[in-house]
Amino acid sequence: MASTEPEHEHREDEEAPAGEDEDTGAQVAPIVKLEEVAVSTGEEDEEAILDLKSKLYRFDKDGNQWKERGAGTVKLLKHKESGKVRLVMRQSKTLKICANHLVLPAMSVQEHAGNEKSCVWHATDFADGELKDELFCIRFASIENCKTFMEMFQEVAESQESKGENEDATVAADALEKLSVEEKKTEENAGEEADAATKNEETKADTDKEDKPAPST
Amino acid sequence: MALPNQQTVDYPSFKLVIVGDGGTGKTTFVKRHLTGEFEKKYEPTIGVEVHPLDFFTNCGKIRFYCWDTAGQEKFGGLRDGYYIHGNCAIIMFDVTARLTYKNVPTWHRDLCRVCENIPIVLCGNKVDVKNRQVKAKQVTFHRKKNLQYYEISAKSNYNFEKPFLYLARKLAGDPNLHFVETPALAPPEVPIDLVAQAQHEAELAAAASQPLPDDDDDAFE
Repeated sequence: MASTEPEHEHREDEEAPAGEDEDTGAQVAPIVKLEEVAVSTGEEDEEAILDLKSKLYRFDKDGNQWKERGAGTVKLLKHKESGKVRLVMRQSKTLKICANHLVLPAMSVQEHAGNEKSCVWHATDFADGELKDELFCIRFASIENCKTFMEMFQEVAESQESKGENEDATVAADALEKLSVEEKKTEENAGEEADAATKNEETKADTDKEDKPAPST
Repeated sequence: MALPNQQTVDYPSFKLVIVGDGGTGKTTFVKRHLTGEFEKKYEPTIGVEVHPLDFFTNCGKIRFYCWDTAGQEKFGGLRDGYYIHGNCAIIMFDVTARLTYKNVPTWHRDLCRVCENIPIVLCGNKVDVKNRQVKAKQVTFHRKKNLQYYEISAKSNYNFEKPFLYLARKLAGDPNLHFVETPALAPPEVPIDLVAQAQHEAELAAAASQPLPDDDDDAFE
């Protein structure tokens, strides 16, 4: 049961040494009986490509100020199959989620004015189980860690982009091939002569510019 | 122990009553757990504010309905009327204000009149402040009355999970109960909205010029 990765289990849960937490409480009868259950982190199919201690803030637009969201560990998790990367941050001790969002090509992490240990970005966050637009600021213990985070975040965002583009390009090429075949037929039917091949080339280029085929084709 | 207008949940829930003098940090402590923020501004609680607070444990999800009561007498509302059916309690005092510790016996007495034999945690808050008026050794009330005592700081998060962990263990009668990772569900894909994106970028640029609330404070775990 529990986690299949025991090194995750107690990493954040640094309990005080036994004895320090002396129980001076009265004996009270329990009011519920709870059974141990199987627990899941939700991160089992992912690999942490970054894992740093940090403090996270969210921007309160009404108050025009940054507010603390949590202090703990921020991770970039790469899915073992899909290759998608998300950012997950957990509060230490309670292990609750402070941030949980995909790192997407449109995202960019930026410097936080006047602070080299922190940086900012926008994300559609899913920490509370519903999608919310958030502006985040994260602060690290060192300038170095902040740099590492920013570089990794940007690298991931860009790699997701090129992957997306390649897929689009393949789809587009397939669609164009179909189009040109169809056009060829039409042209033949119309009995048009001359350099059909050249014409096809031109049509291809035009189609490429004008209507990008929907990715579903 | 949900309020009539509050949704009930299909996992164990407990009514937690939080009492103590005004300004000892009850609301700040609850807010810290709810949103992560640390509210410096003092706004006295009027009557009571009830907040559900969930934790994931090795024995499943549990919920505390936190009854954050007014500490200031003039805003007391129903006072011990709020304590009825309390399953557990936190009595808070401020280690930088001696009087708040002196009043602990009164809070305890009132609480015990309504709630017999419930697990109670005494919390000495603000231990991050250098100039303490109540030293750890001077805190003895919990020994006489069989309460659990924790020194905490809502500001630094020192021991901030301990009161809930202790109460959960007592309520379940399981000394090995512990918090586990809240499952991180896969975030759904969101279609890119170019108009909204431009707006977010503008907002981000403005936010990036705002300082952090605790820029000076470099000590964090």
